[in-house]
Amino acid sequence: MTPSLERLSAGLRAAVEGAEPGLEAANELCSACVELLGMDGAAVSMVHEGVSRGTFGASGDDGRRLDEYQFTFGEGPCLDAVSHRRSVLAPDLDAPTETRWPLFSDAALHDGVRAVFALPIMITSACVGALDLFRAEPGGWRGEQAAGAALAARLASQPLLDLLTADLTGDEQSRPDEWATVTAADMDRVEVYQATGILIAQLDVDAAEAAVRLRAHAMATGQTASEVGIAIIERRLFLDRDGGRGDPAGGPA
Amino acid sequence: MTDHPDRTDRTDRTAGREREVVRAFVALSHELVDDYDVLDMLAQLTRSCADLLDVSSAGLLLADGQGVLHLAATSSESTHHLEVFQLQRDEGPCLDCFRTGETVVAEDPAEMRRHWPEFARAAELVGFASVHALPMRLRDHALGTVGLFGEHPGRLAQDDLDLAQALVHVASVAVVNERSALDRDAVNDQLQHALTSRIVLEQAKGVVAAAGELDMEDAFHALRRYARDHGRRLSEVAAEVVARRLRGPVVLAHARAVGILPG
Repeated sequence: MTPSLERLSAGLRAAVEGAEPGLEAANELCSACVELLGMDGAAVSMVHEGVSRGTFGASGDDGRRLDEYQFTFGEGPCLDAVSHRRSVLAPDLDAPTETRWPLFSDAALHDGVRAVFALPIMITSACVGALDLFRAEPGGWRGEQAAGAALAARLASQPLLDLLTADLTGDEQSRPDEWATVTAADMDRVEVYQATGILIAQLDVDAAEAAVRLRAHAMATGQTASEVGIAIIERRLFLDRDGGRGDPAGGPA
Repeated sequence: MTDHPDRTDRTDRTAGREREVVRAFVALSHELVDDYDVLDMLAQLTRSCADLLDVSSAGLLLADGQGVLHLAATSSESTHHLEVFQLQRDEGPCLDCFRTGETVVAEDPAEMRRHWPEFARAAELVGFASVHALPMRLRDHALGTVGLFGEHPGRLAQDDLDLAQALVHVASVAVVNERSALDRDAVNDQLQHALTSRIVLEQAKGVVAAAGELDMEDAFHALRRYARDHGRRLSEVAAEVVARRLRGPVVLAHARAVGILPG
């Protein structure tokens, strides 16, 4: 019996919200996936600028090791989920028809895993990582597991967004947990999408970095993502290439 | 036509209207043959609703796997309408329609205020005085909703509502392709794909707008024109623009060359 979607949702949200932002939140989310979605391991892996940065959070050592096989062998459902930006399901790694990742499958089967599910983690349109779920029992999703996993992948964008924002702003005073926060959900607005497009062109950065720049500016100036988005669209605000705020009159050409 | 000199204005109007209705279904069906682009098709649907019915704007919201509504298409790209559509995630006629599966109507501002105070404020601010929300569903799976916003108070005629609902049904079938129609997880996958495509389109509009100091409406037309003239899907062109493989100024130059934007 899998829990109702409401219970899943409450449990997954509580795991992220109750943890320190960043790595701890990612670890807690993975543990909640194991517990609530009936999995035996879970991990969040990272991709930035099209390059894999490996495993970030995990439900434990087993989850981490399973996830890292993909980077060791350069193949696996998580890498496919990232490159196609779609969920990749492998309900039985031992099935004769399952030929997609021979090296990864051998290693996972050796560790007692039969089913793997990988879901892309998105920040606006950019895929910044994947949520990987491992199960000893073969078979597909049951009950509300698919919807719960989709929600978990959405929640996983928060710790990754925090990490990318900390990367951008460096080790100054401004650690994300000390700022008035702008959540990943706050970024989910049309004016924010349009403004990140403007930043892609003006700063010549990818979609993920544009979103992180917009968020960092919102947090540093105590505004909402929406307010910053509208200011950028109305050409009242120009961000510098180094992340600071430029003067509209002297902004980048 | 000239064989019927006694034809009244009224029958002329009816005939004109029939032609428009036929054209709307033909346009929608053209989007559906072969390898259609969900974004193009949904935009076509909202434009047809706005053209055919006495409404000034139409917006289509699709639900993700957790039942949260997201804006997927609008008849007009004008940014000041968007807030009204976006608000529906929390309250509004489209959210009520999605939850109940029934058509929701508010005939005038007082009725809007009574049901949804926040939504009513935003709607009145941009000049909407009435709203109709129609359910989008496939069998028992609620997919989303289409909101029709009018500048005048009043209820649409039942014929008009039926027509709009028929267009919406066609679009519902198309959003979820036939193969996956019975599998709820696959349906959610399709919806998620459509929603991500919409995010990419919004970002691409931003890239093109930045290249030429355009507003979002012009940027959208430039993107759509570039896609059509190059025999490409709108969503593919948008993805290339966002990935910086196709540069904003190239899209802009094409729009200027074909004369849809002033040089």
